Amino acid sequence: MIRAIAAGSAVALVLGYLGTFIVTRRLSFIGDGLAHASLLGVALAILLGFAPLPTAMLTAVVLAILIYYLERRTNLSGDMAIAIIFTSGMALGLILLHFYSGYQPELMSYLFGNILAISRWDLISIISASVIIITFLTIFFRRFLFATFDPVGAYLAGKKPWLYDLLLYIMTAVAIIAGIKLVGIILVSALLVIPSAISRLYTKSFVNFILLTILLSFLIINSGLILSYYLDLPSGATIVLTGSILFMFLSITKKLIK
Amino acid sequence: MEIPYLQVNNLNYSISGQTILHDISFKIEKGDILVIIGPNGSGKTTLLKLILGVIKPDKGTILINNRNVKTALGKIAYVPQKFDFDRNTPITVKEFIALEKCGKREHGLRYISDALAQVGMTGKENKKLGVLSGGEFQRLMIARALLHEKELLIFDEPAAGIDLQGEATIYSLISQINQKKGTTCLIVSHELSVVSRFAKQVLCLNKSLVCFGPPQVAITPEVLKNLYGSEAGLYHHHKH
Repeated sequence: MIRAIAAGSAVALVLGYLGTFIVTRRLSFIGDGLAHASLLGVALAILLGFAPLPTAMLTAVVLAILIYYLERRTNLSGDMAIAIIFTSGMALGLILLHFYSGYQPELMSYLFGNILAISRWDLISIISASVIIITFLTIFFRRFLFATFDPVGAYLAGKKPWLYDLLLYIMTAVAIIAGIKLVGIILVSALLVIPSAISRLYTKSFVNFILLTILLSFLIINSGLILSYYLDLPSGATIVLTGSILFMFLSITKKLIK
Repeated sequence: MEIPYLQVNNLNYSISGQTILHDISFKIEKGDILVIIGPNGSGKTTLLKLILGVIKPDKGTILINNRNVKTALGKIAYVPQKFDFDRNTPITVKEFIALEKCGKREHGLRYISDALAQVGMTGKENKKLGVLSGGEFQRLMIARALLHEKELLIFDEPAAGIDLQGEATIYSLISQINQKKGTTCLIVSHELSVVSRFAKQVLCLNKSLVCFGPPQVAITPEVLKNLYGSEAGLYHHHKH
């Protein structure tokens, strides 16, 4: 449980932080797409006997670059590019798993999340990825926000908005995969969106938006984890439902305050 | 011979075989106010995007100070017709202006209030961006350009969607900046009155160049008829 709380806290920080940029960029669907497509990486790892988390991360990064390329270099819109990669990655993953004979308990933990399945190696991978992303995002915070919010302005100021967009996609891919052992492929993208969706109701500045999102993300993940442990419920579903209930409660409260 | 500030040579642009701009050439000097007019679909916004370097021409060149536009990045400000963003995004006026950082001390955070004061937005630093009116947003974009002392200001229909008072404020600001700081301004507009009041040069566009030069010379009844058909009579020359 302590391992799960440590991993949950790292994931809360990184997904909350990244979520503010993703929601501002109107890219909420990208988390879902990358998580589902990462089944390809998990399937590859299971079949070839590699470590699933790093393999899934690497696969998700390649797929994120592919989504970015399709978006920029073809006539496809962003959501179409994501949908194509999302379904193709998942389909390829399912075909690969078809060739694996026998029950694969680890697969279930990737699909639906399992706090007891977090190994020491998983914890190290999750914390390392989170620390790198958070550090990077903080150092280049202003540039990421400029490229996210005003790409033409960033270009005219002599920055390279395309580079920060690409990096945002790559970091999102890594962060999403860091969260799949806790919440599962199917539900992990909710952690990218729900905390931001709540906090933007209550904040006026971007800095406060980030701080409140991280705090909410931390609360949602850890209270969901503790609840799932004591009530013996699936961790992913419990975390996401905790977030959804909090979102509904705080949305209604906000309307009543108005 | 003095080098023109902005030089556009034989510019051609098409999308899927359809000509958007054909053989556009013109040049303006530093400190000019060029108003680009033309009917809807005449290629005005495309011309701006080409000048900004956001899209690439099929043929032709655009030079600023006799050099590629890319070398002028950091010196150009663009005020779009509509800044597309989610109005619920939590970002303040100050945070928005502070996105650009050029490294010069006199363009730093502490001068944001001064820049806002120059466009009549004193005390609005901590306002949420999403609650600003169209006119306030245009002024905010001008404040950002002022803070970083941009050489070239490009406006795409600056008065679109704002009330008459807001429109007057925007144009008088553009005029003041041009006179006080010698900033070169490019304004796309569909209003002929803007030409008579502010333009030092006018460019009439209808996929190709219909006219170019000082308004009193370039704008003739034939040109207006070519651009707007029966609306040609709406234009009144200003007295000199």
